[in-house]
Amino acid sequence: MTQILIIVCSVAVNFILYYVFGSLVLFRRGSLAPPSLRVIVGFFSYYAVFFFFCVPVMKYYRPLSVLTKIWSAVVVIAVVMVCITDHGNWKRMFSSACERIGKHPRYVAGLCILITVQIILVACTYHFTLDAAYYVAGVATNVDTNMINVYDPFTGAWQDHFEMRYFFATYSVQDAVVCQLTGIAPLIWTKSVMATVIILLTNLVYVMTARELFALTDRTEGGQAESPAEPKILAMTAVILFVNLTFHTIYTASQFLMTRTYEGKAIVGNLALLSVFYLFLLMNDEKKRGLLIRPWFCVFLICFGASTISSTANMLMPVELTVLFLPLIFRIRRYRWLLPYAACAVPGMIFTLSYVLYVKGYFVFYTYPR
Amino acid sequence: MQGLSVFDKGIGYLEACLSYYNGETAYMLLYVLGLIYLLLKGTEKEKQVFLPCSIFLLLTVYNPVAPVLLDHFFDVNSEYYRFFWITPIVLLIPFLTVKLIFGVQERKSRWVLLLLLSCMLLLSGRFLYRNGILWADNIYKMPEDLMAVSKLIHEDTEAEYPKVFLEYEYNMQMRQYDPKLLLTIDREDYLYAVGNQFTEEMLEDPAHPQYKLIAALIKDQKVDMSDLLAALEETHTEYVVLDRQNQRIPWLTEAGLETVGEAGDHVVLKYRLKEPYTFELVDYSVVY
Repeated sequence: MTQILIIVCSVAVNFILYYVFGSLVLFRRGSLAPPSLRVIVGFFSYYAVFFFFCVPVMKYYRPLSVLTKIWSAVVVIAVVMVCITDHGNWKRMFSSACERIGKHPRYVAGLCILITVQIILVACTYHFTLDAAYYVAGVATNVDTNMINVYDPFTGAWQDHFEMRYFFATYSVQDAVVCQLTGIAPLIWTKSVMATVIILLTNLVYVMTARELFALTDRTEGGQAESPAEPKILAMTAVILFVNLTFHTIYTASQFLMTRTYEGKAIVGNLALLSVFYLFLLMNDEKKRGLLIRPWFCVFLICFGASTISSTANMLMPVELTVLFLPLIFRIRRYRWLLPYAACAVPGMIFTLSYVLYVKGYFVFYTYPR
Repeated sequence: MQGLSVFDKGIGYLEACLSYYNGETAYMLLYVLGLIYLLLKGTEKEKQVFLPCSIFLLLTVYNPVAPVLLDHFFDVNSEYYRFFWITPIVLLIPFLTVKLIFGVQERKSRWVLLLLLSCMLLLSGRFLYRNGILWADNIYKMPEDLMAVSKLIHEDTEAEYPKVFLEYEYNMQMRQYDPKLLLTIDREDYLYAVGNQFTEEMLEDPAHPQYKLIAALIKDQKVDMSDLLAALEETHTEYVVLDRQNQRIPWLTEAGLETVGEAGDHVVLKYRLKEPYTFELVDYSVVY
């Protein structure tokens, strides 16, 4: 029971931190970005910012505890900053959320049931996957040795150089930082806490995207919705769950989401790709485009954050940006968007290039001074 | 991807890759049908969202030449399928399903359509839990026996980091639960062993004594006992954990390994190293 309570509290704290980072990114005096968007953008910003603190500590083989102290300080500063700048909005957002729940109690209850089913399925079932031998064991090894990626997660042996395939994907190092700070076992943190967080975030994006998609269909000439969207959003979320449970071969993103939720690949294949799609939907809408706060910066943070979560993003995000935004840029003839579009693809391409150079033997980062 | 190679398949790689990706499911086909529906009946906004990106996907990800070109720069053999994740299948199919159902005003027709679409979705997929749900034994989501094996070893050993030979599944799981156990066998060696026998040449390779251990204890290949003991010594392996049914257990006990204990279906055996080995973490405090 205590463990379940720890998991619930950890999930809540994670969401608060993502909200904090999202609020910092989307802060603009006089404008209020939706809390859901703050949480999603905040999630990727959190890992993007963590990357900049993690890489130097790792590269110069400093202990994990040093990173834990630094990162704790960064998080405290971020929380204090948001408390100062944003506290006035909390009451307004809380009452707005309560009002919405009061208006559509059955819709909210339905969503809660659907999401709870998914959480139970991912957090309480047993799945044997080979890659956990790297990711989860990597977190456990970092915590145990108080070093960052210096020991081989598979065997525990010392490695004389960093494996560049995973060097820039610092997501699991953040897991190690939290495990060291809180004393939560890596297995519980990765397979229960983070799996629950990812399911909640992914469903949040499903709901946000469904709302926008039905707005495309339902809006009349005057801009008013023909019928309430909530039942449709609930129905669409239910069908998405059905697809995720049945679009099942060992390669599909749905399979990764439902059985390997804690892996970076699952986050990129579901959350990151869908978040960019959601922003594309908003930017595609002429009316909403003007209301968005720093939309390209949000896309950039999602792409960059995704690259720090899994190297899979390095190839996926540039292609997704191309297939979504290039047609949009040419259709609405907004060619100045070509620059931010290219900028969003740059981090992934740099990471890919450095990996290729490493494979071809141009450089190596040793784990000990030479 | 299951032995698929761009080099071997050429422009046929994409088709083979798609075939593996979709398996017995028909969601990709439903996605294409959804696009056709949007083309014929969709609103202007819906077309703007889904059609251009699908055309661009067709020109890039679903272009048979793309994997061949990419393969010149990166090894895409095992990961090309991840590009298919960009296709918004999980959004378009549910969106159109709901749109169609809510678009019908008459109650009876709506139920009929719901039934039809439900059947279509049911037939298009392959249920993840068709063989039942395997609930985790504990909060760690690890087999209880594995946790008991870890406990047995730590109770027996004086070393902080004892080295252990484990069978395939435990080898992949143990260090997630207990990073203080060092493993004799690397993941790649086990992945090789799953589908291959070890050749004489490999077994005689002095650089890889661990091959003899997998060959003898897992693959049931012929390996001399003296060679096996030498391999345990060279790899500093102090503990061997095998399934109770493993026919090599009597052979190992005869050779001098002691039984430390049993945990469920697993037996923990101890090999007394002739030259005691202590693994120590590298001291980085001297670096600065």
